Amino acid sequence: MSDSPIVNEFNQGPISCHAFNGDRTELAVCFNTNVVSIFRKSGAGWTQTSTLAEHDKPVTSVDWAPKSNRIVTCSQDRNAYVWTLDGASHQWKPTLVLLRINRAATFVRWSPEEDKFAVASGSRCISVCYFEEDNDWWVGKHIKKPIRSTVLSLDWHPNNVLLAAGCADMKARVFSAFIKGIDKKPAPSPWGEKLPFNTVCGEFSNGAGGWIHGVAFSPSGESLAFTGHDSTITVVSPGTGDIQSIRAPYLPYLSVIWLNENQIVAAGHDCAPHLFELKGQQWAFSASLDAAVKKADVGFTARDTFRRMDSRAQSATSTDTEVHTHHQNTINSIRPFSGTPGHVEQFSTSGIDGKLIIWNANSISRGLGNLHL
Amino acid sequence: MAFRKIDIDALEEDAFGEDEIDFQEIGELRPLADVEAQVNSRAQEVRSLLQRGNTSGALSTSLQNPPYGAPFHAAKARNTQTVMEVLNSIKVADVPQLVKSLSPEEQDVLMKYLYAGMAAPEQNNSGHLLAWHEKLTEVAGQGCIVRVITDRRTV
Repeated sequence: MSDSPIVNEFNQGPISCHAFNGDRTELAVCFNTNVVSIFRKSGAGWTQTSTLAEHDKPVTSVDWAPKSNRIVTCSQDRNAYVWTLDGASHQWKPTLVLLRINRAATFVRWSPEEDKFAVASGSRCISVCYFEEDNDWWVGKHIKKPIRSTVLSLDWHPNNVLLAAGCADMKARVFSAFIKGIDKKPAPSPWGEKLPFNTVCGEFSNGAGGWIHGVAFSPSGESLAFTGHDSTITVVSPGTGDIQSIRAPYLPYLSVIWLNENQIVAAGHDCAPHLFELKGQQWAFSASLDAAVKKADVGFTARDTFRRMDSRAQSATSTDTEVHTHHQNTINSIRPFSGTPGHVEQFSTSGIDGKLIIWNANSISRGLGNLHL
Repeated sequence: MAFRKIDIDALEEDAFGEDEIDFQEIGELRPLADVEAQVNSRAQEVRSLLQRGNTSGALSTSLQNPPYGAPFHAAKARNTQTVMEVLNSIKVADVPQLVKSLSPEEQDVLMKYLYAGMAAPEQNNSGHLLAWHEKLTEVAGQGCIVRVITDRRTV
């Protein structure tokens, strides 16, 4: 496994969302259009194998269930489709899901057991959808109260019942998405005991307001991390009652994941993944995981420089317009790639620059390992 | 959708309006008299600290408990004046060290006042405020500026 990040450039436009299949041989990507492209790994690159075209408006989010190999997509057209691979024809067949929302869907995630999925929407509600055997279709139940604005992101708790939601009303909330008949009663957790559907198990905000762009449960589910547009990351642990807000001196993060119980990686408008670590009892910013791009990669010969100037219609060279990170524009999604949920070894990021980059978390931890007690 | 004439969101009964947002972020507003009294007493305290040459104490005190809330225009103006007095009486050479000694909350409040001060260039020395801005950004980063923009609690 190489230490430097693996950069995949598709040159098909900005990437709005991406998802890998279970063994990471296939990739579903949306280039800010109405369709989702499926790629298969071939050698060092990716070749396109199929296109999921059913939505009428841009697809906002895609998720690929690793075990059941089903894809769910949601779009601004207020719909979601569940795609299953037809064994004989190797075609992806869509099934419409009635979300009953009157605004765009913004985010979708399969639950850990892959028997439900949750769709966040601009209708100020979350549709928790499950398959009803009797009618042979997907049905959605709404989590509405007390959401006051668009839900921007979701994350499922490992117990398959609790759901965290980051919202444009500047609150991060944890709801119970318990579906009778699908879920068994969950074990008591620091988030609550009796948990009927739509129970609010917690409502939190960052220090200075701002939409909550990303939420993530810790691998054990004991803590919740969320990041907002006020460039703050907050970690909440209801078991101990601990709430820590870290004011970052950087531009806001849009997405956040846990590498393990002590490390969080967040990425966003600064175009690089940033590592936050728990040292003792305190969470703090550790380092950017993107060392500056070496000059050689950018093309430093006189010919390259003038070619760049030509393509940008510049009259004088200026190195200020190059962003010295691998991503050249905002990262809008970060997802675990390899390892277990409790020990993520690699993670993937996609951004508006149209690149999908797979980072190696181990090399960073090794490098920073010296800083630990 | 330029041909649509109805603003559908304005007709919605359960809209998340400005008042509700402000109440969520700022909370119950204190009585006007209390706020004004606090701002005035703080102004006096800061002035006396400055006279005694305690610039770091004056800076820190002036940044405590800003009068957040829509109806407190006069109190906000008065408090901004107090902060400007402190900033003007500190030499540029001392700024970096003082800025580092502030807590993160105080740094965010200071950035809010820098922008408030720069919004009135006739009254305040923008050049001096820009020097403060540069030093504060070096320490607190762009995140501090983003928080000024996102935070509903304005000074």
